[in-house]
Amino acid sequence: MFVRWLTALLFSLYAVAGGAQGFVQVPALTGRVVDASAVLSSEQRQALEGKLAALETSSGSQVVILMVPSTLPEDIASFGNRVGNTWRIGRKGVGDGLLLIVATSDRKLRFEVAKSLEGAIPDLAAKQIIDEAISPRFKQGDYAGGLDAGVDQIAARIKGEALPVPSQSGASSGGSETFDWQNLIVFVFFGVFMVGSVVRRILGNKLGSVVTGGAVGVLVNMVTGSVLIALFAAFVAMVFVLISSVGSAFRGLGGGGFTGSGSGGGWSSGSDSGVGFSSGGGGDFGGGGASGDW
Amino acid sequence: MKTWILALLSAVALTGCGYNDFQRLDEQTASAWSEVLNQYQRRADLVPNIVATVKGEANFEQDTLTKVVEARAKATSIQVTPETLNNPEAFKKFQAAQGELSGALSRLMVVSERYPELKANKGFSDLRVQLEGTENRITVARNRYIQAVQEYNVLARSFPSNLTAMAFSYQTKPAFAVQNEAAITAPPVVDFNKK
Repeated sequence: MFVRWLTALLFSLYAVAGGAQGFVQVPALTGRVVDASAVLSSEQRQALEGKLAALETSSGSQVVILMVPSTLPEDIASFGNRVGNTWRIGRKGVGDGLLLIVATSDRKLRFEVAKSLEGAIPDLAAKQIIDEAISPRFKQGDYAGGLDAGVDQIAARIKGEALPVPSQSGASSGGSETFDWQNLIVFVFFGVFMVGSVVRRILGNKLGSVVTGGAVGVLVNMVTGSVLIALFAAFVAMVFVLISSVGSAFRGLGGGGFTGSGSGGGWSSGSDSGVGFSSGGGGDFGGGGASGDW
Repeated sequence: MKTWILALLSAVALTGCGYNDFQRLDEQTASAWSEVLNQYQRRADLVPNIVATVKGEANFEQDTLTKVVEARAKATSIQVTPETLNNPEAFKKFQAAQGELSGALSRLMVVSERYPELKANKGFSDLRVQLEGTENRITVARNRYIQAVQEYNVLARSFPSNLTAMAFSYQTKPAFAVQNEAAITAPPVVDFNKK
């Protein structure tokens, strides 16, 4: 819908304006521990990542640690909320994500808790973990130790909560459920070919192509929710069927001809959910959690 | 042939007029609004505990405390119904009352810094954490409401869906605004001589 494009445009303008005001950009989610302020050694980072990965395989919950130099001029709470709702960590449909943000030069830290974990880790518990496990170690400059102790306590609390069991096929492969444009285009392409030729044979060349175009338009509108894209797709499909009817009429003389042999390699849409960590995309962060300093 | 084209056109026209989008966004704003109310209620429920704890502190500034109690009474006395959303006057009143409570509470928190015994009180620091969390949740809920309203209002005012809005008399919805716009835009006065 055009309106949706307008709002999208507005939001992007808003985002640009936000960037111009000097808000810290949300970093890329590169792993379970994103250390943008580079205070952890690579062994420490790997140890933490291993611990968090083990937590995800045993309970399904996704916990991510983000370390940035500073969140200024933004408050760490609103920065945390922005990061949480951009990354959306937590399983799809469960939404059990948790974010630990450390602003090293501000000397502030915060637990940002997704709504479905607010029961397991209420604000008071988050505050308690910060005050008793993390801050004292941070005060001595022991970042790795503080994070490690914090993760232990978080893990204990999450395990006490009755969450859905993680699926055996690897809970981190959230990519399988995301919408894949490549597949859609391939599907529509061949679908139009096959359905178009059948419909054309039943209804005749002109009406057949109009109907196929209309069907594609409705389908695309349902999937994408955009009339403009749908109209465009419908038009392309109609022209396509018309042309292919002319083409096949010619080729029909020569016999044989076009049998979608180009489908070769098939479906490997290159979803790189192999080694790394990917967000489940289900986390909804409503401002729960607690902040602290050291 | 003609009937086919007509059917196709009318299908496109019906999805294009945005009626369904109006219904979807109306529901979305309503639920975002409920979340706002929910969080405001949570804050109002915290206030009596905070007041009781602070009262235990001898010679606490009575003025600050009374203001919080009054602001809470005022905020909770306003009846909020779903119709409040379509009544800018009532919406404004509601917003003003909640804003007053926000101001009184933050003043209370600032003043409490001056009382070391209160700061050391475990119950009070717990309440503080809860209040802070609630304020964060209020912020998020308000943001989501503003976004939902924005989407709805853009739909209600842009062509061609504004014709649908006219036909069914859908009004634009009010959003939260900053209360003290003038105070924020005024440059801060820094006076080093004051002491």
